[in-house]
Amino acid sequence: MVGIDRRLLQNVDWLLLAATTMVLAISAVTLSSLSVGRAGGGGLAFRQLAWVGVGSFALLVIASIDYRRLVRMAPLFYVIGLAGLVSVFALGRTVSGARRWILLGPISVQPSELFKVVFVLMIAWWLSSRWAQSLGRVTVSLVLPIIAVPFVLIVKQPDLGTALLLFPVTVALLVGAGVRFRLLGALALTGLAALPLAWLAMKDYQRERIMVYLDPFRDPLGSAYNVIQAKIAIGSGQLLGKGIAGATQSRLAFLPERHTDFIFAVFAEMWGFVGCLVLLVCYVVLLLRGFDIAAAAREPVGRLVALGATALLASQVLINVGMVTGLLPVVGVPLPLMSYGGSSMLVSLTALGLLLSVRMRQFQ
Amino acid sequence: MSTGFIGRRPLPDHHEAGRHRVFAVAAVVLAAFLIVIGQLWYLQVLEGGRFLDASDKNRIRIRPVAAPRGILYDRHGVPLVDNRPAFTLSLIPRELERDAERRSATLGRVAALLGVPYAELEDAVARVSADSFVPVRVRRGLTLEDVAKIEERKLELPGVIVEVEPQRTYPSSRFAAHLLGYVREASDEQLKHGKYRRGDMVGQTGLERLLDEYLRGRDGGERIEVDAMGRPVRLVQQTEPRPGAEVVTTIDRRVQEAAEQALDGRAGAIVVMDPRNGDVLAMASAPSFPIDRFTGTIDRDAWLAVVRDPDYPMLNRTLQSQYAPGSVFKIVVAAAGLQEGTLTPLDRIHCGGEFHLGAWTFKDWKEGGHGGVDLHRAMVQSCNIFFYQAGLKVGGAAITKYASAFGFGHVTGVELGNEKSGFLPHPKVKRGRQLWQGGEVVNMSIGQGAVLVTPMQVARFMAAVANGGVLWKPRLVQRVQSAERGTLYSDPGQVTGHVELSPVVWAFLKQSLWSVVNEGGTGAAARIPGLDVAGKTGTAQMIANSKASRGEDHAWFAAFAPAKDPEVVVVILVERGGKGGQVAAPIARKILNAIFFEKVAAIEISG
Repeated sequence: MVGIDRRLLQNVDWLLLAATTMVLAISAVTLSSLSVGRAGGGGLAFRQLAWVGVGSFALLVIASIDYRRLVRMAPLFYVIGLAGLVSVFALGRTVSGARRWILLGPISVQPSELFKVVFVLMIAWWLSSRWAQSLGRVTVSLVLPIIAVPFVLIVKQPDLGTALLLFPVTVALLVGAGVRFRLLGALALTGLAALPLAWLAMKDYQRERIMVYLDPFRDPLGSAYNVIQAKIAIGSGQLLGKGIAGATQSRLAFLPERHTDFIFAVFAEMWGFVGCLVLLVCYVVLLLRGFDIAAAAREPVGRLVALGATALLASQVLINVGMVTGLLPVVGVPLPLMSYGGSSMLVSLTALGLLLSVRMRQFQ
Repeated sequence: MSTGFIGRRPLPDHHEAGRHRVFAVAAVVLAAFLIVIGQLWYLQVLEGGRFLDASDKNRIRIRPVAAPRGILYDRHGVPLVDNRPAFTLSLIPRELERDAERRSATLGRVAALLGVPYAELEDAVARVSADSFVPVRVRRGLTLEDVAKIEERKLELPGVIVEVEPQRTYPSSRFAAHLLGYVREASDEQLKHGKYRRGDMVGQTGLERLLDEYLRGRDGGERIEVDAMGRPVRLVQQTEPRPGAEVVTTIDRRVQEAAEQALDGRAGAIVVMDPRNGDVLAMASAPSFPIDRFTGTIDRDAWLAVVRDPDYPMLNRTLQSQYAPGSVFKIVVAAAGLQEGTLTPLDRIHCGGEFHLGAWTFKDWKEGGHGGVDLHRAMVQSCNIFFYQAGLKVGGAAITKYASAFGFGHVTGVELGNEKSGFLPHPKVKRGRQLWQGGEVVNMSIGQGAVLVTPMQVARFMAAVANGGVLWKPRLVQRVQSAERGTLYSDPGQVTGHVELSPVVWAFLKQSLWSVVNEGGTGAAARIPGLDVAGKTGTAQMIANSKASRGEDHAWFAAFAPAKDPEVVVVILVERGGKGGQVAAPIARKILNAIFFEKVAAIEISG
């Protein structure tokens, strides 16, 4: 069951792995450059590499398992994932006002991160299940509770970024499953129409909370300052960048969250527009391989799994870069394979494992 | 479930449609990437220069380093004022909490820790841009205890720093306050002229203001790279401050201190001058103000209390107050009469204590009169009756002519500013002829009535009597010099006028002034055995002003010594002190004694 035969190895997607390796290398260089000439910061890159090791092992394990087995077990994973989300409220560690982490021995894990992959499998399971083969209004509507339960749990942590991420992934899967665009349009309209109702149903303090989430300028000490500093960092990199030593925004700590959510700004300051193009091209190659795997999948389950994994990565890259460059409001979404953080790395590599799993079995 | 929305066929059979669906998602993703790349092009290539400036602005702080202010020395090289490092509480607006509530909390804590009014901190921050990195000085002269309180909580008080600046220190709280003047942060009014930057220390009165240009020096600066917390990372560039130039004054610190002590809390003025060159050796005015507090920390109430004090402590009485000269003016009348031939030493009258002119009766200060008096005795005893008649003989025109020649009615030209010119009466002019009112001339002859003089004018006049008629512009500053740039300014002294009197007249005047002190005259209280002191008392009645009701007359004593070859002139005025001979003369004696006899222990300037 766990084991890779020769035929499977012939179908490993080397270009996908090459793009992944490139991004990981860029991440390691960026993280270590943040600590050049500074005491006590040098460990970050190594800890990140340790997580890459763990993640790579997960990647191999997932790739070696037939994704159809994983999809069949998806409801079980889903229940376990929900339990993980609930456990945060009981066992969670509070960091700057949010309970997102639970301690597993020496490491802290973010259940909401890990849930992303589970979610992809669960939606794929539902849309490919025999109850859902008519793909009508009812089938599609039943996706809503699958989203709603984890969404509420994750929002309560609070971690709006991760919660909102469930939507583009779901939409991509619905599109991939062949739901007619008219139905999708109707769903979107219904959702828009429901927003004011939900707004009216909310209590005042909840509204205020949502407003703070949606409008970072309500909190002048927080997000607005971050966005300004990120823009300065990115812009001052100009065409070719300031190099590692000259990246004052990053190295003098004007940039907030520079190891994690804002790492793209660090990279942009150091390597400029040209560097950003190189990095974005790596992501585009990686994602196009993902889409190709989905398109070439032998049957719908594989297509949905590959498309979901690819959509998950694509949404995170675009939301993260969009928010760092000031196109989107700031929500906490890490840059896959770049941002420092174990859970995020594990999830990204697991998603890639799913892609490989689909790829290797496309001719079976 | 077979409505219009139903999928057309089961998925497994629809491979080609599924592929198209995947491509649709991929197309959306690629489009989004193009938008992101467009934004990066905008930020990095189109607007990159602007953001580069912004990032430099972020990391580079320019910290001014105050130049130490130049030192003022006395004529022997003893400092009159010095600098010591002082601690200043400053706020950096850009580094204060951005959130209004949290900023208030920070300022509130500082206010509570140091006992500073909260409004003062708030005002200081409100006056400048919240984006400024230039420290706003809030409170100078922190104690070491205060500094410790702030430094201990440094991390909890973002934007609050303690700077070290050179600050003025004086030998004593009120030492030469009017002469030196105080130094304070440039006022809003001064900032408007563009000569100063906010927080610059500027001389506001006295020599500090007169010589501010020289004393100020040039501030240096440091360009420092800082991190986001405002912690310095490295020094990018440094400009050393250029200290202010040294000023060598004409003041003798020992004499200045003696003069201030001799006044002993009484309101009045003292000028000590060298009649040979016009050098001012001491200039004291009382009541005085606490110059150290004016320069350092003073709260608004204490400041207002001084400024609104009905005794006007801010007034430099040596230059800015005008008084009737009293009997000191008799010297002018005698000089005019002798030189014009309308008076001779042999003129004699009987003084019965009263003099009648028309309907008026003028009295002598002495009940019953002095009996038979000649000019010499009239000077020595300061007999009013003699001078009433002498004044009428000499005439108002001659008296004012000589008084004007001796400098009365004209400013002395000392550079301290706001100097009053005094006043000499003018005759009424009718059909081209000068007409003097008899009563006016009588009053003027004994230095009463409309005549007004400043103590500095009396000193210049007395110096002219002592040196044979030379009017010197009083000199306060000998030179301004700096170590690197040599002498920047020097004042060789300036003669502003001559009084031509025949030698016998000078001799008579000196002789009689010597007798005033040494032969049982009204100035006997100024007598010092072994030193030939010559002088004249004066008691200025305050008839014209209703202030007389508040007390007694102003007491004058103007002296020079040694009588034969005068080296110093001492002028004393005590407001509402009483009789010149009883109040002012003993003060002059103390000062003369200090100048000529007292050996003073080594002078240390104290912090």
